[in-house]
Amino acid sequence: MSSLKEFSKGFFKENPTYVQVLGMCPTLAVTTSALNGLGMGLATTAVLTMSNIVISAIRKAVPKNIRIPIFITVIASFVTIVDMLMHAFTYDLWKTLGLFIPLIVVNCLIMGRAEAFASRNSIGKSMLDGLGMGLGFTGSLVLLGSVRELLGSGTVFGLELWGKKFNIFLMILPPGAYMTLGLLAALFAYIGITRKKRGGSK
Amino acid sequence: MKGFFKTGLILMTYCAVAGLGLGLVYSITKDRITSAEFKNKTQAVEHVLKDENGSYLVPISEIENTVFNTKSTDEILYETDKGKVLSPVYVFEVSNQKIYVVTGSSIGFGGPVVTVASFVEDNKGISLHSIKVIEYSQETPGLGAKIADSSIQKRFYPLDSAVLENGVNVDKDVGAPDLPPDEAKKNGIVKVSDVMTGATITPRAVVNSINTMYEYLVKRMGGSEQ
Repeated sequence: MSSLKEFSKGFFKENPTYVQVLGMCPTLAVTTSALNGLGMGLATTAVLTMSNIVISAIRKAVPKNIRIPIFITVIASFVTIVDMLMHAFTYDLWKTLGLFIPLIVVNCLIMGRAEAFASRNSIGKSMLDGLGMGLGFTGSLVLLGSVRELLGSGTVFGLELWGKKFNIFLMILPPGAYMTLGLLAALFAYIGITRKKRGGSK
Repeated sequence: MKGFFKTGLILMTYCAVAGLGLGLVYSITKDRITSAEFKNKTQAVEHVLKDENGSYLVPISEIENTVFNTKSTDEILYETDKGKVLSPVYVFEVSNQKIYVVTGSSIGFGGPVVTVASFVEDNKGISLHSIKVIEYSQETPGLGAKIADSSIQKRFYPLDSAVLENGVNVDKDVGAPDLPPDEAKKNGIVKVSDVMTGATITPRAVVNSINTMYEYLVKRMGGSEQ
């Protein structure tokens, strides 16, 4: 039960984007389309899960005063691996995401989970935490990307819903990212509050 | 003092392990990356050698052979203040025509905009057959990055040699916004203001690279393969 919680907390209760507000830089920059969001999310999930596993495995062999450089080394290695794999196998996506793949290294979501969770918990739990948080992050990016893509170009995942008939071109630009993010965060907060109230009245 | 060495040694061990792992993945993915890059390059060349009916100006096997055998050195072959011509230049000979596939780059809104273009040389001179913009990642999404749309890229070609000789312009720069696209082409004007409203700099970069590539071909005409 508790391990399931480690996994599912990233989806809603501790959603990295809307609740913890972590990793804003790629969130705002790459979510011009749902597919970009999905690609970025999955790349981050892969890095997060693998680095969580490794950091949890070596947590007892890491001296406290140099833990940050060691975590960064681990994270950077996995990011480079993901970067090379994407370059080799998903060339087009790799090209669109561009600089943001190497920048996963400095995504505070990954460093945050390494420091706050993986360095204190068992391998199994850390893996679930990484997977859950990563998928929660992916979900947020896909949601944000879908809304922006739909309002900006009338498509979702490239599938035409209403095409060019009604486009708010602003949605694809940076202001669109901020507005959508703000509204979605408000929605998450609202649902969170209602949930708590209901739980309290029981 | 001893503490420093110990810490350094531990860090070094971690880095060495990470380095080994990276080296391993690199050696596994190296060939795939080369072939993905190659495929990407051939795709652009094939694209610009297509005509409206979808048939190729040059047999596809010859395209692949030429792309494979031409060394890509990434050097600048020709440079003006407007743009650059990048290596390699592919040359195909079909009956009495010479076909050049040239890569040109010019600065757009946020960085370089790279265009691959095919020029056909016959007894009337050099004309532009087709283009494909392959690098526009620094352009604003929804504005300049619309250049990726192939229906927009069609506004830039075909252009005949007389037009190229006088230089090509974006409609906004010469103040002729009302001409239909095909009519504008005859006057050396690329009409994009209706489809790329608010973004003049990106199409201007493409036009600049087309002009630079044409200049390059004229200056090197005859001695094509150097």
